[in-house]
Amino acid sequence: MSSQLIPTIETGRLSLRGPVAEDYPNFKATFASYRSRFMGGPLNTYEAWMLYAAEMGHWDIRGFGMWMIHDKDTDETYGMAGGWQPAGWPEREIAWIIWPDKAGKGFALEATHAVRKYYYANGWDTAVSYLDPKNLDSVRLAERLGAKKDADAPSIDGSDAVYRHPSPAQLDDTQLAHGIEMEIGHYADPQFKPKGWALD
Amino acid sequence: MISLTGTPTLQTERLTLRAPQPQDADAFIAFFASKRSQFVGGPMTERQAWNFFGTEFGHWMMRGFGMFTVTRHGDDTPLGIVGHWYPRTWPEREVGWVLFDPASEGQGIAFEAAKACIAHAWDTLKWDTIVSYIDHGNDASVALAKRLGATLDTDALPTKPEDPCYVYRHHRGALV
Repeated sequence: MSSQLIPTIETGRLSLRGPVAEDYPNFKATFASYRSRFMGGPLNTYEAWMLYAAEMGHWDIRGFGMWMIHDKDTDETYGMAGGWQPAGWPEREIAWIIWPDKAGKGFALEATHAVRKYYYANGWDTAVSYLDPKNLDSVRLAERLGAKKDADAPSIDGSDAVYRHPSPAQLDDTQLAHGIEMEIGHYADPQFKPKGWALD
Repeated sequence: MISLTGTPTLQTERLTLRAPQPQDADAFIAFFASKRSQFVGGPMTERQAWNFFGTEFGHWMMRGFGMFTVTRHGDDTPLGIVGHWYPRTWPEREVGWVLFDPASEGQGIAFEAAKACIAHAWDTLKWDTIVSYIDHGNDASVALAKRLGATLDTDALPTKPEDPCYVYRHHRGALV
């Protein structure tokens, strides 16, 4: 019983694969933690398990979903990133979550840049991210990805801010795309020490 | 196309029990939005029901078994979900049943499907115990549990300690 047909995406440091049962413990730990406060958490054990199962089912229902982010070399998981559109979402979203102890290494930037590229190559012509305005780490990541607040786009329930991602053309061999790739390259450099607070 | 792979299909005299598929969403969500779902976790919002529908797939992947969509032979219309359910934190493995439409009641459909799932749990999944968790007031499900040969187990734990329910215990050999 598996969704074996979920594609794998490889980036410089990461391997993105469909979620499987073995990856559940880190998901559970994150959704039991304060880290999950902007994504509907913290959750109790039952709720976290049901949400993880729903993340899997999203792939079956929509044909797209959230990948598990693995280290390409060690296989360790760092978080999840992908497409997300449960009932009530006005548009398809690029979403991400990084395990609390894996933040600050640019994994979310590298993973979301890759999944956005994947979806743009597979039929999406736009994407948004629905963010809690207080979720400064994610707002900052959306901005690093070139997304801009779209005041005219419908939000989920009025309490979230809609960030619209750059279009496929705006990411096609542009200064913006090169800048994102350069920043990912910095994070991949073991000597790199980001200034300021930790960024995803 | 993404889809569950490796899931079994059960056949009974009148019914085909297959893994859930995306096209079952509307019937599932409509049921869980209705008052009819009051004894099985509902009624819930569309968003909650949609997520819950997602867990039907994920449960198969997490556990290797799950709820089947019940259909008649030759007609893929989803009549309900019947099957095997064991989310994290539940004390025991359950055989559960839901018929979406009251018009499907009174024809022995839930009985026929649940009977096949109980046999599958004993013989194929090799479960040691089977229970059915039934909310207080759900007289129709209590009657079905009894018809399936299950008996009330007052010592068994409910799914949530703070929320008592009936635990009907199934017995090997009760159905032949």
